[in-house]
Amino acid sequence: MAKTRWIPPVVLCVLLFFISHEFIYGVEEKSLFVYDLFWLKDFLCKPSGILSCCSMFFIQFLHIPWLGTLIWIILLILSAELTRIVYRIPVSLSALAYIPAAIFVSYNMSVGYAIYLITLQGFFFIPVLGYLWALLTVVVLRKFRNPVRLAILFVIWGFAGYYVAGFYSLAGIVAACVDTMFSDRSRSCRLAALAGTVIPLLLAPVAFLGTTTYNLSNGWIIGLPEKDFGIAPLKMQFPLMLAMALAVIAPMYKFLSRLSSRKAPMIIQTAALALFIAIPSVFWFRDDTFKAESGMIHAANNQEWKEAVDIFEELQSKHADDPTWQPTRVLVLLKDLALIKTGQESERSYSFENGSRMQNNDCIVPMSFQIGKILYLNYGLPGICNRWCSEETVLFGRNYMTYKYQSIIAILFNDTNLSREYLNILKKTLFYRKWAIEQLKLCDNPGLTAQTKPYDTILQLMCYDDIITSDSEGCESFLARHFNGPKPRRATPLYDRVALFFAMDSKDSDLFWARFMAFLDSNPASTVGKYYRQAAYLFSVINKSSTLETLPFDDTTKELFSEFMEKAFKVGNVSLEEARQAFPANLRHTYYFYFYYVNELQMF
Amino acid sequence: MRRSIIPILALLLTACSPKEPADSVQTGSAPHIFPDYTDVTIPGNIAPTNFLIEEVGQDYVTVLQAGSDRVTIGGNSVRIPFRKWQKLTQSPEIKVTVYVQKEGKWNAYNPFTLTVSDDIDPYISYRIIPVAVESYEKLSIRQRNITNYKEKVIFANTMIQNNVDQTCINCHHYQNWDTDNMMFHVRHYKGGTILVLDGKLHKVNMKTDSTISAGVYPSWHPTHDYIALSNNWTHQSVHAASHDKLEVIDENNDIILYDTRTNTVSPIENDSNELECYPGWSADGRTLYYVSAHYEGEFGPGRETQLFLDRKQLHFNLYSKSFDPETRVWGPKQLLYDAVATDSSMTWPRVSPDGRWMVCCVSTHGIFPLDQIASDFVLFDLKDNTYRYIDEINSQYAESFHCWSSNGKWMLFSTRREDGVHTRLYFSHIDEQGHFSKPMALPQRDPEFNREFLNAFNIPELMKEPVHITPRQFASFISSTEATRSNYEPRKGE
Repeated sequence: MAKTRWIPPVVLCVLLFFISHEFIYGVEEKSLFVYDLFWLKDFLCKPSGILSCCSMFFIQFLHIPWLGTLIWIILLILSAELTRIVYRIPVSLSALAYIPAAIFVSYNMSVGYAIYLITLQGFFFIPVLGYLWALLTVVVLRKFRNPVRLAILFVIWGFAGYYVAGFYSLAGIVAACVDTMFSDRSRSCRLAALAGTVIPLLLAPVAFLGTTTYNLSNGWIIGLPEKDFGIAPLKMQFPLMLAMALAVIAPMYKFLSRLSSRKAPMIIQTAALALFIAIPSVFWFRDDTFKAESGMIHAANNQEWKEAVDIFEELQSKHADDPTWQPTRVLVLLKDLALIKTGQESERSYSFENGSRMQNNDCIVPMSFQIGKILYLNYGLPGICNRWCSEETVLFGRNYMTYKYQSIIAILFNDTNLSREYLNILKKTLFYRKWAIEQLKLCDNPGLTAQTKPYDTILQLMCYDDIITSDSEGCESFLARHFNGPKPRRATPLYDRVALFFAMDSKDSDLFWARFMAFLDSNPASTVGKYYRQAAYLFSVINKSSTLETLPFDDTTKELFSEFMEKAFKVGNVSLEEARQAFPANLRHTYYFYFYYVNELQMF
Repeated sequence: MRRSIIPILALLLTACSPKEPADSVQTGSAPHIFPDYTDVTIPGNIAPTNFLIEEVGQDYVTVLQAGSDRVTIGGNSVRIPFRKWQKLTQSPEIKVTVYVQKEGKWNAYNPFTLTVSDDIDPYISYRIIPVAVESYEKLSIRQRNITNYKEKVIFANTMIQNNVDQTCINCHHYQNWDTDNMMFHVRHYKGGTILVLDGKLHKVNMKTDSTISAGVYPSWHPTHDYIALSNNWTHQSVHAASHDKLEVIDENNDIILYDTRTNTVSPIENDSNELECYPGWSADGRTLYYVSAHYEGEFGPGRETQLFLDRKQLHFNLYSKSFDPETRVWGPKQLLYDAVATDSSMTWPRVSPDGRWMVCCVSTHGIFPLDQIASDFVLFDLKDNTYRYIDEINSQYAESFHCWSSNGKWMLFSTRREDGVHTRLYFSHIDEQGHFSKPMALPQRDPEFNREFLNAFNIPELMKEPVHITPRQFASFISSTEATRSNYEPRKGE
């Protein structure tokens, strides 16, 4: 059985290779650790704030996914091995010690889309660090055999520990009490432990929360996820409570090795191993759309637009054989933005599948929280981006990305003092320091902003007169309303390009012609890509317009249209899924196909 | 052994304490410091005005001198010892000289002066609010002893709201700078107006069938048990690309009088074609000042959108109305400032305790000065009915909510002058002729506080004493008490 001892740590190490880097980036980008006493103080003044802080310290290393994951796995193995050592669990039952680690893995990897809604700052490392604190509690409190001293220490440790680790500390105190009960210590020691446990268990939350501004009813669960939108809090809390319950009952494990049956330990070890592997396997959120969305968001946050398109393309090729597959709107919107940023929208936009598949999640994630700030900033609406950065900050806490986006916005508006405030915070971080220093140069030389990426294209899209507005109808509809509205007097060539793109998406012939003419006025004729030509030809035919004669349509555009219409007459009025099956790729990837068959997309 | 340690320690301490450089070169310019306390007037009882020297150098020495008292401080973060500060502020002037060592040579900047003036009320309260549009998860009303740096929470919404129901808190206010009679509003979950009357807690719902909303912006009558409040039906919208981040409009406004003893609400002004707001009592309580914009748009679903479109035409005039506190009879309204004629908008009238001065916010349009970069202060001399822009205070960013000290010598106000977004608190002294001194930032223990604390200070109020009710007492009361609905009574008079 000793050989099986190595299975759990090896399995954990193997996990390193299966964890999606895209998700890991998301965890890191939604966290913050600033090497600054002022920032630390904000956490140190509240119960379990130290735990949050420590967790966010480790989360910063997820910036390099293998490094952060390695730290996580080391902590998981440490928690299990310490459990084994602390509770003297025999090697033959070592897998039992790994079950809490399995729960922590499944908890983190089951988060999925809830990552955009979690309000507990530092959620990723908190469980394992909290568990380690609980183990430390058991170790420390085991040292004392004098009942009076033991009771006093239980109380002191209980109160101090609550300040450090909140719920996990309370669980640790209970675990230490149970450990004392199952030890060979005297009856008076056991009574002392019991008394010393009850006092902090009942009073520590009241004592600490009495001096802070938290709702007392949350006092016993501080350190657990509290309010995560659309997700039942208990669903998020239960796994962690279960893991801590296992720590509490761990002192009883040693009795299992004394079972009369020789086979019993083997059966228990096998069952525990099965559980250890099954728990993460069952609860691990595996969804290639979520993975692609996370990857594209990470790429967009770093202005790596080609990478974003590649991720979409890779996902699409994976589902090439599935005619029912549709991308989510998040994928489509990010892909469209990436194509515009790389100047490829006129040649490639309709070569990708379109759709509005629902995200695979049991909570509704508002698009504004997921990609709102990316879309609004890069489409030249910094005020709306700033609004969502602010809302995100209030609801979920400050993070690297909100500071990054708000710095960019402040620089765009030449608000030097404000941008310095944000950048000086990022300057005190480990992995965003370099970026902040680069941006600070723009604060010193605002004249360079218009020539620097990404400011150049954003400024070009900010050519409209300021508007007051609301995106209450949803990100996509709002963007369409913005670009399909009246043409700004100071419209730039880039604005005309983007407006034409949105006009094509709207399928509105009049709007298309207005935008197409504006585009031709401000952009070189050589940039009229194939999809612009297809749209112009289609609307000319539909409207029986004189442009059919006046515009120099190329043969490919005309031939493709004839071929498409011929096929369309045969196929008839069918659903998008049926049309996908009926049309060959060369006809499917046309504006004609989009115009006739991509209908009733659900916008968010 | 002990004998040898003491001189060594003394030597070490002496070696560490900074000395004023003997030789230095005059730069001929004032030092750049943050907050800018150069040549400001300070209250005699204010906390030390710690500051940061923003000059590049290897070493820094600051010398503060007042009469024979002299304090020398090293480093670019100048934190003035409290006891030494108290001695310094006994003199009418403190001369501050900053030395910066650059390339081995000491540079002496032009000394600046802190002029010590009248004392100020020792406490202030304000709401700490994150800069956002809709989310208000973490709000707190706090009080600060401004003679030192001690800050305490009066009440925070996090103390009562739960995982589902959210609570907003706003508009804390006191009668005559005393905390025995105070109020603030709790909105949504466990909502109601929290009144402290003679130290006792009450929770009321001022919304009646005849009023458009519960009370909002308050002004407590100086001598009687009345509070004038506005009723607001507020909407906000975001600017897509402007230094102004937010636009706030009110779909409808009225002003009401609330009698704290009878829990009765009666209208003061409720013309459906007027948007009346921001009541403010005169010092004797016999005149009420308020602002109002004429708007004839129809009521209905499109009114909000239309108001946003017409927002630049919303010019709030300044009015006054006489009032007999004994009979509660109102006189007719009188136009004091025609904002329409000057293409401006007047808000937040606040009269000094001696009744001589009134300060208002003036902007280009609209009702919410906080979010308008153009918002400035104007000073009305009520003796001769003249007014002027307070150029010595106004900055390039929004100046907004302000209040007077109980002795009428100081004005505390909120401003976004530091970065355009985060509202900070500043004081300014007013002399007999109505001239304000250069504004000074609320001192903080850490001079970099305002640069790192990225929340806003909202609606500052000066107080003679701290609020004695504890946050948990407020929380327990608010959670367990249903709001008593106010009665409605028609207006008397005219």
